[in-house]
Amino acid sequence: MLQKIIKPMSFFLVFSFLLLDVSVHTAKARMIDTDTVIAAQQKEAIQARVTAFLGREDARKVMEQHGVDAVEAQKRVASLSDAELAKISQAMEQLPAGGDGLGTVVGAAVLIFLVLLITDILGFTHVFSFVKPQR
Amino acid sequence: MFFPLLSPNAKRREQSRFLQAGNRMIAGLLFLTLPLVLSGCAALSTRSLPQPPNVPGKALVAGVPFFAQDELQCGPASLAMALNWSGVVVQPSELTPEVFTPGLKGSLQSGLIGSARRHGRVAYPIAGSEALLAEVAAGNPVIVLVNLAFSWYPKWHYGVVIGFDQGRDEVILHSGLIANEHLGSEVFLNIWQRSEYWGLLVLPPERLPATVEEEPWLEAVAGLERTGQWQGAAAGYGAALKRWPKSFAAWMGLGNSRYSLDNLAGSAEAFRRATRLQPKNGIPFNNLAQVLNKQGKRKEALAAAQRAVDLGGPLVDNFRHTLEEIKAQPAPTNKPRRKK
Repeated sequence: MLQKIIKPMSFFLVFSFLLLDVSVHTAKARMIDTDTVIAAQQKEAIQARVTAFLGREDARKVMEQHGVDAVEAQKRVASLSDAELAKISQAMEQLPAGGDGLGTVVGAAVLIFLVLLITDILGFTHVFSFVKPQR
Repeated sequence: MFFPLLSPNAKRREQSRFLQAGNRMIAGLLFLTLPLVLSGCAALSTRSLPQPPNVPGKALVAGVPFFAQDELQCGPASLAMALNWSGVVVQPSELTPEVFTPGLKGSLQSGLIGSARRHGRVAYPIAGSEALLAEVAAGNPVIVLVNLAFSWYPKWHYGVVIGFDQGRDEVILHSGLIANEHLGSEVFLNIWQRSEYWGLLVLPPERLPATVEEEPWLEAVAGLERTGQWQGAAAGYGAALKRWPKSFAAWMGLGNSRYSLDNLAGSAEAFRRATRLQPKNGIPFNNLAQVLNKQGKRKEALAAAQRAVDLGGPLVDNFRHTLEEIKAQPAPTNKPRRKK
């Protein structure tokens, strides 16, 4: 009984695995859909905003206090994923826009803490000893 | 009740150090709680309609039919009103399976949005009373989500705002079992506030909202693509391009929609416009290559695909596959040569 089933079964299995393999390889060549285009544009805009923020004088001062230079910080921003960038951008929206000097410096400190924390989690940096990198 | 302590009179009395310390503490506490008190007051005091510039004192949208809702069916009823106004003939009961979630005994906002798209209409969310008035004044009914009870005992409800009257401080709605209900703006704003002033426009794709912004509009139109409403999507991108002729994403969307409608020449034209707007972006070249290939213009297709690969970017793997796929296809049959 078992012998009877085994042969067709194994053919079936081999065939299914072949299908699996093929589907993975052909998934790539395609039109890029509009959702992807819009998402890419949004990511660029957010990246530009975060980069511009890190170029600000007050932000640079806070980074220097953490011993991170501006060029390095920009590199880290470039390595962040969409979700991480969105998180930082959200935090930026809640900062006082112009405001008094005190407000913006405090804001910058919080934001830079966030950037360093996220890059720490990713294992790019190791500023905070309590963070264990993912990899 | 704390304020007298801060008056000059009180200050003179506070010679004892204890009192002074106590006063400081109270002042500190007051200072800390002031923002809370102020924001609380603000939430309760701005209870009349705003008066945005360029918006008339009263307005009423004509041609919004009223459907009395069945029990729990305010979502389908409200959507049916908006859809019929926009030119889609549909009964609330037909929308129930698309919108209503039986387990929740209600309809989610995403349900309304998805259903509007399935009927070829652009679902464009708005927030806040200024946008509401501007849209109604421009002749667009607005579906609103309100909480009729309390935040801790919610009774969520959808209605359709069809008008307002600044003079009488009223908002006019089709809601529940009542057509043209005149609701005092204080009550309306109180119950609407609990949904963070969520409103939804349901529009024919060629009709831009009065308060339209480029990115949200394009996102809303891209939603039509996801439901296969390519004709509507193409119209929506077309409307966007009339307003923002240099919108890269709108040209891309138009190209994709026309491609799905088998309008290859139109699609290629749209992608070419996109390549001119962002000549260093590989995406439009990749899509242009696919269209040209389908048109049988193999040589041009290869050039465009190669260009995409050269430009690179995060989607470069995709571009390479496009190039390889075109290369791997057999060269076009030599029909023209044979004829000679």
